[in-house]
Amino acid sequence: MAPRLRTLLLVFLSLAVAACTPAGSPSPTASEQPSISAAPSAAAHSVYPLTLTDDAGRSVTIPAAPTRIVSLAPSNTEIVCALDACKDLVGVTDFDDYPAQVASVTHVVIGGTVDVEKVAAAQPQLIVAAGNELTPSAVIDQLAQLGFPVLSLYPHTLDEVSDDILLVGRAIDAQAGATQLVASMRARAGALVAAVGSAERPRVFYEVGVFEGTIYTAGKDSFLASLITLAGGDPITGDPASTSIQLEDLIAADPQLILLGDAAYDSTITPASVAARSGWGGMTAVVDGKIIVMADDLVITRPGPRIVDGLEALARAIHPDLVP
Amino acid sequence: MRAAAAATTGRLAVGPSLTRTAIVLGGGAIVLGVAMVVAVAVGSVGVSIGDTAAILGHRLLGLPIPRTWSVGAEQIIFDVRLPRVLTAMLVGGGLALAGTVFQALLRNPMADPYIIGTAAGASLGAIAGLMAPILVPALAIGAGSSWLGLGVVQVLAFAGGLGTVLLVYAVSRTNGRVPVVTLLLTGYAVSSVLAAGVALLMFFSGQRLGAIFGWLMGSLANARWLNLAFAAPLLAISGALLVVRWRRLNLLLLGDEPASHLGLDVEREKLALTMLATLATSTVVAISGTIGFVGLVVPHLLRLAIGPDHRLLLPASILFGASLLALADLGARLAGGVPVGIVTALIGAPFFIYLLRRSRDLSRGAVA
Repeated sequence: MAPRLRTLLLVFLSLAVAACTPAGSPSPTASEQPSISAAPSAAAHSVYPLTLTDDAGRSVTIPAAPTRIVSLAPSNTEIVCALDACKDLVGVTDFDDYPAQVASVTHVVIGGTVDVEKVAAAQPQLIVAAGNELTPSAVIDQLAQLGFPVLSLYPHTLDEVSDDILLVGRAIDAQAGATQLVASMRARAGALVAAVGSAERPRVFYEVGVFEGTIYTAGKDSFLASLITLAGGDPITGDPASTSIQLEDLIAADPQLILLGDAAYDSTITPASVAARSGWGGMTAVVDGKIIVMADDLVITRPGPRIVDGLEALARAIHPDLVP
Repeated sequence: MRAAAAATTGRLAVGPSLTRTAIVLGGGAIVLGVAMVVAVAVGSVGVSIGDTAAILGHRLLGLPIPRTWSVGAEQIIFDVRLPRVLTAMLVGGGLALAGTVFQALLRNPMADPYIIGTAAGASLGAIAGLMAPILVPALAIGAGSSWLGLGVVQVLAFAGGLGTVLLVYAVSRTNGRVPVVTLLLTGYAVSSVLAAGVALLMFFSGQRLGAIFGWLMGSLANARWLNLAFAAPLLAISGALLVVRWRRLNLLLLGDEPASHLGLDVEREKLALTMLATLATSTVVAISGTIGFVGLVVPHLLRLAIGPDHRLLLPASILFGASLLALADLGARLAGGVPVGIVTALIGAPFFIYLLRRSRDLSRGAVA
């Protein structure tokens, strides 16, 4: 029971990041327009010592091209590996599951807690942390004080995921790979957005989780809400801070489509069980039987290189006729 | 009754024999030393005892030892573990001392260092600090979050704890006196109001809920040399001023009126003791959050073992409180970094019940 509970908690926490990251907050790498920006300039090699500004606005100096990297979030691990630096990872979280080869890397984050001793023992030349307190800011401070360069990533939109990939590319001298990856992500995302762009936008409710009667969904102006918008939906959002929505507000918003992110982890949540919930029966989505299990929840809510897969899964669920 | 009280007073005013003092405090110092060595030497990453000793000798004593250990080992021992163990000892000692004082001062066996509002005030302050980047967006970026090198969280927790007790004390004062019952009830009422504020902030905390929760449970994960430099002098001063007041605490155990008949300026003394104990508690809470149990139980355990005389009880509570928390925090670290408050309650409380059941001397051990 305990491990399962812990896993659920972790799942919920990682979902909560995506669900409650406010898109409106200031961010140095922010560019508010979703989808396609100009292609990045020609790839170059990084020159060390290299000083970068991370998503928390911190100035980070990396003395030499890092060959020992610690990642403190699954999304960061995916970025590092997508830039062909998986072999340089010397520490990851116990929640990391992609790509498969990270299974053999030492866990320095266990049960959501960063083990600072294990990070220090790994002597990383770069630590890639997660913003919005997924990596507690006190831990980021402590690691920086120990003299390790800590790059904190906190993307608010799909476009900022690309910016973060480019940032990591500069940090680990993989700019060519980063530019190529971002170009292909932007091309795919652009095609998806174009395919669903002119269609009618159904009101979409994405269920992140229901705990003790409190319904968690995409927060107002959150990453998840922006992703649903890009996928051609009109997201029904919750409070930006708590990311919860009250049942009567949900009933009033009357979703035309219900997407069950939590069903990917909890087999007791099914379209039938949702339809049978007290008070849910009158919603258009329930009446029309438009309740869909989102098996791809992980890639939808993990701001890494596979986020476009998540966008595609959302677009397919919302507009099955337009996205094959 | 009066004769008995006078006899007790006589015994308590003279204090225990020198041998007994030497045994208890010497034993406590040895236990503390062993706890420190074990807590520094053991952790989630293995560093050999030899390397640990060499690193400490090199960094603390400046011994010219050739560097055979890795940079990582040195960082782990000197920058991660040592400040954490020392913080645990300061916090444990401070809480046990303040708990002993409050139990005697309020003549209440349920009293702990937080009882008249320190915990609620410090929690509200700390959580407001944790939420500051959300409440005041200008603080969200880097340097804005520290003040005099300390975090906003520590400063607000310290001010919140101290301010709340000042308020409670002022409200409880009637005709120049502060009746113990009024103080307890006012503390409870003010705490309830502040707790509602804490709950409200938690509801809107979003992703920061984890950090808030960890703070409320009490954790030493944020221990730094810098925090120690802030806390150690404040604790040394308040601790020393409390320990020298042992005779007055013994008198207060008799009750306000008998103590006053024996020549004690009771109201002045209660104010001094409350403020000193609150200063110690607020300092400790600022660097560790609200760690429960230590401040409640260590004084009781020691009273069961060595009796109620504060001459011995006060220094012993510092030594054993420090040892207990250093070892409890070692347990917390080895259990994957769970908040230390969980370890103290989970292991300490059943042990306490066992001792209570075993003790035939309960009536003497408990505070009246």
